[in-house]
Amino acid sequence: MNYLDILKNSPDMVSPGISACQGCGGELVLRRVLQVAGENTIVAVPPGCMAGSGVVGWSHDSGMKIPVHIPLLDNTASFLSGLSHIYRRSGREDVNIVAIAGDGASADCGFQSLSGAAERGEHMLYVCYDNEGYMNTGYQRSSTTTEGSRTSTTPLGRRFSGKQQPQKYVPLIMSMHGAAYCATATPANMPDLIRKIQKGLAASKTGFAYLHVFSPCPTGWSFAPDRTIEVARRAVKSNMFPLWERDGDGWTLNYVNERPIPVSEFVEGIGKFSKLSERQLASIQRAADERYAAVSALASIQNRA
Amino acid sequence: MYDRHFVTPVGNRGMYVLDTSSWRTHRPVMDKATCVNCGICMGYCPVNSVRWSEGGGYYISYDYCKGCGICAAECPRGAISMEREGGEE
Repeated sequence: MNYLDILKNSPDMVSPGISACQGCGGELVLRRVLQVAGENTIVAVPPGCMAGSGVVGWSHDSGMKIPVHIPLLDNTASFLSGLSHIYRRSGREDVNIVAIAGDGASADCGFQSLSGAAERGEHMLYVCYDNEGYMNTGYQRSSTTTEGSRTSTTPLGRRFSGKQQPQKYVPLIMSMHGAAYCATATPANMPDLIRKIQKGLAASKTGFAYLHVFSPCPTGWSFAPDRTIEVARRAVKSNMFPLWERDGDGWTLNYVNERPIPVSEFVEGIGKFSKLSERQLASIQRAADERYAAVSALASIQNRA
Repeated sequence: MYDRHFVTPVGNRGMYVLDTSSWRTHRPVMDKATCVNCGICMGYCPVNSVRWSEGGGYYISYDYCKGCGICAAECPRGAISMEREGGEE
């Protein structure tokens, strides 16, 4: 089935008016994931942009048409582990258990519970929308922030300029947990994203499924809201965010990038990279090249076997 | 529909819905003569404001559209233009 037919026939599970910024990549990911998951779903949204924008409810109102809960910033995966067990024991494997968490709640604060749940193979789909920072509290740095980015905790100055440490590449770490399914996706490659959500939901019935979605943030990164998709597309084309998946059969590279664009084209026009030094740019380029080479090598192992 | 009682108070008053259409400074206008109904705008709209109707193809619903302009920027045919809200002065 064509992805457009799926979207046409899947009602929106989120309140139509939530306070995510104009052009928010996270809102796009949230709506697509829950459209595909459907109404037989229980969602956990830890504190972050999506929870702050009202999808977990506000005052006495609910922000979704399906059950939604806001766990703590660091226990989303543990919370859903318990929920998944009780549903399995009551013979309700048909219920989709889904987490929609930001990178702070997945890669930083929530990493311990996420890593534990992935290793135990708890039955759930964990979607991380990676906007590279704690955006809803005012754009603080996180471990997945790209090196050299301007954030409110790594400002641009004379002594140091932007984030000093390289980005932590979480999806590959997660894939090494041996989960049932692990994949990266971006909103720019929509058919690929929809297919991976479907595959992740199917895998969540037998084990842990992890989906890492690159989600550009116009407000925090300082670019025009209409460029969200273009920024995501350039992240893939520059190998900053290679598209791949790992399932029971091994690794697959979903976007074979024969002529990658330089990282300088990706950072162009994004305000948080406005004062990148030559050294920082070279370091980002190297990280992108390493990432693509690593995933290609892993994918080639699968083909050889 | 919302008069039932939940275990937790969240949700017993109804749905949290913000009028995000008031954020808009520019509105997307679709030129149906240029549009080929490829549906790319619907896939990319973060607010699900691009809808489908069986007779009329894709159209833009202005009820919650935030006016981000993604549809206009991504349309491969250039069929969507962003026009200033409130008209010309």
